[in-house]
Amino acid sequence: MLKSTYQQSLLRSNLFVVWNELVKNIKSLLAYPAILVFWAVFPIFWFIPFILQGQAFVGGPESASFAQITGSGEYVPFIVIGAVLNSYVNTLLYGMGENIRREAYQGTLDYVLAAPCNKAYVLIGKALSESLSSTIFAASQLTISVLLFGMNLTLGVMLPVFFIVILLMLGLYGMSLILAAFSLMYKQSYDLSQTIGYVFYIFAPVRYPVESLPTWAQIFGKLIPLTYALIIVRSFMLLGTDFSAVYFEVIALLIIDIVLLVAGFYLFSWMEEKTKKSGTISHH
Amino acid sequence: MNKSNKEHRLREVKCPTGFNWSNLKAELKAVWEANIKDWKIEFAYPVSFIRQLISPLVFLLPFLLYGLVLVGGTESANLKQLVGTDDVVAFIFTGYIMMGFIGTAVWAMGFSIRRERWFGTLEAIYVTPSSRLGQVLGMALHSTVHQILGTIIQFIVIYLTFGLALKIDGILPALAIFALMMIALYGFGIVISALGLILKEGWVVSDSLYSIMMILSPVAYPLAVLPTVAQQASYLFPTAPALIGMRSFLIENYQPEVAGNVFLHLLGLGAAWILFGIVVFRVTDVYVRKRGMLKKF
Repeated sequence: MLKSTYQQSLLRSNLFVVWNELVKNIKSLLAYPAILVFWAVFPIFWFIPFILQGQAFVGGPESASFAQITGSGEYVPFIVIGAVLNSYVNTLLYGMGENIRREAYQGTLDYVLAAPCNKAYVLIGKALSESLSSTIFAASQLTISVLLFGMNLTLGVMLPVFFIVILLMLGLYGMSLILAAFSLMYKQSYDLSQTIGYVFYIFAPVRYPVESLPTWAQIFGKLIPLTYALIIVRSFMLLGTDFSAVYFEVIALLIIDIVLLVAGFYLFSWMEEKTKKSGTISHH
Repeated sequence: MNKSNKEHRLREVKCPTGFNWSNLKAELKAVWEANIKDWKIEFAYPVSFIRQLISPLVFLLPFLLYGLVLVGGTESANLKQLVGTDDVVAFIFTGYIMMGFIGTAVWAMGFSIRRERWFGTLEAIYVTPSSRLGQVLGMALHSTVHQILGTIIQFIVIYLTFGLALKIDGILPALAIFALMMIALYGFGIVISALGLILKEGWVVSDSLYSIMMILSPVAYPLAVLPTVAQQASYLFPTAPALIGMRSFLIENYQPEVAGNVFLHLLGLGAAWILFGIVVFRVTDVYVRKRGMLKKF
């Protein structure tokens, strides 16, 4: 079987690596059904307090003050969209670095890195599996939210939203590659990814509009891919706009994606070489 | 002769049993040492220590900023209708400081056993002649002090940035309520740590319980906005009566959402949760050791 694999064209061999990495990660996820159910359902419990807070402070489903800043007074869909897109940060940002760490814990990292294939395809396989699981979790959370809070979704809106989610995932891949690189070299990338998660949570408009932050914090927030993704998706879903109204944000998101992906691949290759030379790959 | 004397003395050595002053002192020393050990581990990772110190503030800010954007200022007319005060900042701050301590019970205590298992030291701790609960309580002590430090930072930042109006004369009774709440939360934490002994992926249960408790506790909203069943369920946990009691002492014009004596309610909950926790921990401990599951994870 191995022999036939090597005889295949380079592209097919690489796709074989990506596919098997994807299958391996999905099998690993399916082996823990409790975790699967947890990520599909429980993130909803994290934003329900914000909806109840809205009811207590405003006394209805709309806030005039909210409408002045965001253009729509409906805070419930605002919170739901923020939470669902933020769940990609939770799974993708921590997922990739932790995935590499898990290989080290399980004692399989040496074999993965010694395999006669380009490591970029292993990472692509890992990224695809994280994206697939994130999308399943996000879709589940969105469906439950639609049923619970009566949000209105149409296919015409969801298609451009899906495109923006892909752009968001590309930016997060870049960041998670950087984290995976640090994980290879310094082993403890957990604190770094948690700190980045904090930065996203505070400076990106996950729970509140970015305009409610001080000017310096708004500038900082504009460097985060999630900020643009949230602005664009909320424009589509809450204000009913199209791409022409948010073309600047789409271009900004694309530029950030390219910078992060290039930096991520470069850093990972560099760190991989360094760890191989230092002989500390299997350390954890 | 000497040899037989020595053997005799060795046979005489017994593990300390029974409730007496000398055993209690020994157990308290074990709790203290477990606490010191956790501080030493924590200081070995300074970045992690600082991150965890500011995390209470990081998780409070979204509730606060979102609340301010919702009402377009610091006063909510609807909140005043519900609980008599319109002060959004004081209401959210007094509510959120509790959440960190729920985290202490669920995460720190719940994972004390699990963490030892990861480090490979659980079996060594289990064979020491001290109570297994000492380890859990040592971790709880460390985590409570850690959380208090985080809350002080939280208070300073919120006071300087948003202004915080609390009644100074209400601090002492509020602290008494806090202490009673912590006793009940420790009981809850002991139950979670027992689950950590038996479940391979205990964090799923801990996080689920934390999420449910977060909704049932009136952290950022009064109990009145919850459905009736949820309101009744919230009285089984110490956070709801503690929050209502603390707010009535700390916030001007606050009208408690429920009648009854908060102190008695918390005393009852504390006794019930501690008793339940100890029983669950004992049963799980015996079950795990009989099945030889101590080292499995």
